[in-house]
Amino acid sequence: MSLLCRTVVLAGVMGLSAQGCATVQPWQRGRLADPCMTFDSDAGRVAYQTHWQEAREGAAGGFGVQSGGCGCK
Amino acid sequence: MGIGVSALEGAGYVDWAEDELNVQFHAFQDTRDATILSPTIELTKDFTDRTTLRAKFGLDAISAASDSCVRCHRPGARDTRLLAGASVIHKLSDDTKLTVGAEVGHENFYQATTVIAQISKRLNKGNTTVAGGYSFSLNRPQLHPAQRTENQFASDAFASLTHTLTKTTVAQFGYEIAQIDGYQSSPFLRALINGERAVGVSPDSRTRQTLSARLRQALPLDSYLETDYRHYLDTWSIHSNSLQVGLSHYLTRQLLVNVSYRWYQQTGAFFFAPEYFGNPHYFTGDFRLQPFDSSLYGGRVVYTSRGRLLWLPEGAGLTAEYEFYRSTTGFQAAIFTGGVRIPLGNK
Repeated sequence: MSLLCRTVVLAGVMGLSAQGCATVQPWQRGRLADPCMTFDSDAGRVAYQTHWQEAREGAAGGFGVQSGGCGCK
Repeated sequence: MGIGVSALEGAGYVDWAEDELNVQFHAFQDTRDATILSPTIELTKDFTDRTTLRAKFGLDAISAASDSCVRCHRPGARDTRLLAGASVIHKLSDDTKLTVGAEVGHENFYQATTVIAQISKRLNKGNTTVAGGYSFSLNRPQLHPAQRTENQFASDAFASLTHTLTKTTVAQFGYEIAQIDGYQSSPFLRALINGERAVGVSPDSRTRQTLSARLRQALPLDSYLETDYRHYLDTWSIHSNSLQVGLSHYLTRQLLVNVSYRWYQQTGAFFFAPEYFGNPHYFTGDFRLQPFDSSLYGGRVVYTSRGRLLWLPEGAGLTAEYEFYRSTTGFQAAIFTGGVRIPLGNK
């Protein structure tokens, strides 16, 4: 099975399982509101980190995609 | 040079963003003798109760270029990379957001232009967010020292599912696929072929795929655990895994400390070799295409004021961060970041 097929199946399973999870009510979200619980809450910092890593590693993507160019050749 | 597409925001659905000015300064120094100073300014501003504008301007000032430049320019070669981007985030409904944006980057011998669109929707009483998007990039490297310019086209599609598992746990799963066509060699990195150095030749097509899983877990004692895993593979036979773990703790209500560790591993491209003989179809001197492992160690302190701080308004934040990167190839880098976040008024 190709990676794409596996991914679609995985996404479907995750989506279905998400429906089965207990719902967290708004008054239970106190700790969820902290910036530490937010993915990429500091977008500028994440963009910079991802950019310099992608300029020095063979892999890229997954956590927000970045503008090209390196400057350091 | 990387492929290009711009990051507009995380794939989650954030409702509480406020108008703010975010100024950061990054200093990067590595063992290839590259020193890069990068100030960035980001503005987030509401224009209506449903529309937000984000604008970004950045600069990379390279005070001493890398060993590949020094090969021809003994004193080093200065360079500057300018980056400007803007995006508009529009709420189509209380649960659906559309983001469109563009970003341009310009430096000596390289230009990048990117457009992107993303839509996200909250489901399940706000406990689930699905997001998807597409971006297209046109990158134009100049084959320095020649004047000829090549084109590189990158299309990128991504989707994610973010779900609140419990009142202390959030998980996110993502998939991304990118197709890059056109010139993908580096005119600056030279391969050793039959004892002589020559600009490499890489395939002109590459498909990259990533699967990611991320978790945020609130812990007792005002602490938070952050874990990010990514699996990557492409048609150049590079397979990679990365795992980042971070721990944040509020020493006081204003002072947050964070320590993190990232482990990265990749296989080499199918045509990578330290040295080539005969008449190979593809060959490269690109250090990014060799097999290696790396570690990244980080420490960060964030101070958020509860009242006015000097000339800064209430709620302003100060950030200081230090990171150290080390790979099994001997490459090392140190990165310092300082930042100021200035709220401009709540939504």
